[in-house]
Amino acid sequence: MDALDDLMARCAMRDQRAFAELYRQTSGRLLAVALRVVRRRDWAEEILQESFVNIWNHVSHFDRVRSAPMTWMTTIVRNRALDWVRRPKHETSDEELDGIVENWADDAPGPLDRLRNAADSSALAECLGTLSGQQRQSIALAYLHGLSHSEMAEHLGQPLGTIKTWVRRGLERLRGCMDATSA
Amino acid sequence: MKPQNPETRSILAAEYVLGTLHGQARRRFEHWMKSDPALRREVGRWEARLNPLCDTLPAVQPGPAVWKSIEARINPSREAAAAEKTTWLGSLAFWRWTSFASAGLASVLLAFVVVSTGPSDVAGPEEAMVVVMEDPETRNPSISVAWSPEGRGKPKLRIRVIGHAEMAPGTAWELWALPEGNQPPRSLGFINTHETQWVEVPEELRHQLNKAAGMAMSLEPEGGSPTGRPSGPVLASGKCLKI
Repeated sequence: MDALDDLMARCAMRDQRAFAELYRQTSGRLLAVALRVVRRRDWAEEILQESFVNIWNHVSHFDRVRSAPMTWMTTIVRNRALDWVRRPKHETSDEELDGIVENWADDAPGPLDRLRNAADSSALAECLGTLSGQQRQSIALAYLHGLSHSEMAEHLGQPLGTIKTWVRRGLERLRGCMDATSA
Repeated sequence: MKPQNPETRSILAAEYVLGTLHGQARRRFEHWMKSDPALRREVGRWEARLNPLCDTLPAVQPGPAVWKSIEARINPSREAAAAEKTTWLGSLAFWRWTSFASAGLASVLLAFVVVSTGPSDVAGPEEAMVVVMEDPETRNPSISVAWSPEGRGKPKLRIRVIGHAEMAPGTAWELWALPEGNQPPRSLGFINTHETQWVEVPEELRHQLNKAAGMAMSLEPEGGSPTGRPSGPVLASGKCLKI
C-alpha cells in the first residue's frame, strides 16, 4: 500500500492530520490541473478549496479497488473546473485560447515529451504517439485545458464535425492501443 | 434513450471524462451513471487511461489561505477540536457528544452493557470498554462493540448490529482497531449481519485493544482486505470509551 492509500484510509476514519498531509502531498499537482482549465489563479484556488472539502466529505466512499487515490482526486478537481469554465461568465478570451492551441500544435515540442518522461505514463505516451497530430492535439486540448468541441473548431479553423471526428477517432485508437499494451 | 451498444457507451464515457460532453448531454450522462455500475466502471477505466496526462503539468503551490479556509470548513469547532488534536478521531465534527447524549442512543448503550455482562470473560459489571460506531453519512449508530479490559485468554468482543443490516454478496465487513497516534489500523476480524455476535481476538492484541482510540468497520471483498489495511469504504466508526 503506498503512502497516499494509507492517508486516504486514515482520512476515512476522520484523521485530520492525515488529511493535512494528503493536502501537503497533492495540492500542488491538483492546483496545476485546475489552473490549466480555468486559467486564473484565484478561480483555480477556489476550485481547489471546494474540491478538498469535497474530498474530506466523501473520502469514506473512496474505493481503492476501483481507482487510485490521485486519479480519484484529479477527477473531482477536473469535474469542478469543467463545470466552472462552462459557465458563460468564466469563458476564456479568444487571445488566450489561440495561445493555448498554438502550444499544442503538432510540431510544438514539450508537452508530449514531458509525458514520455513522466513516470507511470509511458503506456499513454506511447499510445498517444500512434495518433495523428490532430487527434493528439484535440485530446490534449480537451483533457488538459477544458476546451469544448466548438472552441477547438473556432481556434483550429476547422468545421465542428471535423473536430468531433478527430476526438472520437483519437479516443478509439487510444483505447485500442492501451488495451493491447496492458493485455 | 440510454445507449446499449458497448462501443457507443465507451465513447460517451470517454467524452464525459475528456470534458467534451457538456451541457444537457453531460447532466444526462451523469444521471445514467447513478444507476448503471457498468457505465461507472467504463468511466473509471477512461479516467485511469487519461489521468497520466496530468503528470505533464508542473506543480503549482497554492497560497496559505487555501488550506486555512479548508481547515475552517471541515472543522467548524476548531477550539474544541484543538483539545483533542493528539488523538485519532480528534474531530468534533466526527464525534458529536450531543448525539451521544441523545436518549435513544443512551438507552441502546445501556441495554447493551447490561446484556454484555452475561456468560463471557467479562470480569464484572464494574468496568467495560464500549465503542458505538456510527454511519459516517447519517451519524446513526449502526454497530456497537464491547469487551472486558481485564480477564485472561483471548479477548471476546461482543458485537451488536443495530437495525436491519444487509451485506452485498461477495463482500465482507472487516473490523479494525484504530491505535492512538499515527499507527496503522489493525484488523480484528469480520462481522456478519447477525444482531448479536462474538468476535474472538488473538490474546496478544489485548493490550492494543484496550489502548485503541477507536474502531472502524470497512467494506471489503470476500476474504477481507487484500492490502492488510482498510481498502474499501468505511461503513461505521466510533471512539472507544471506558465505562
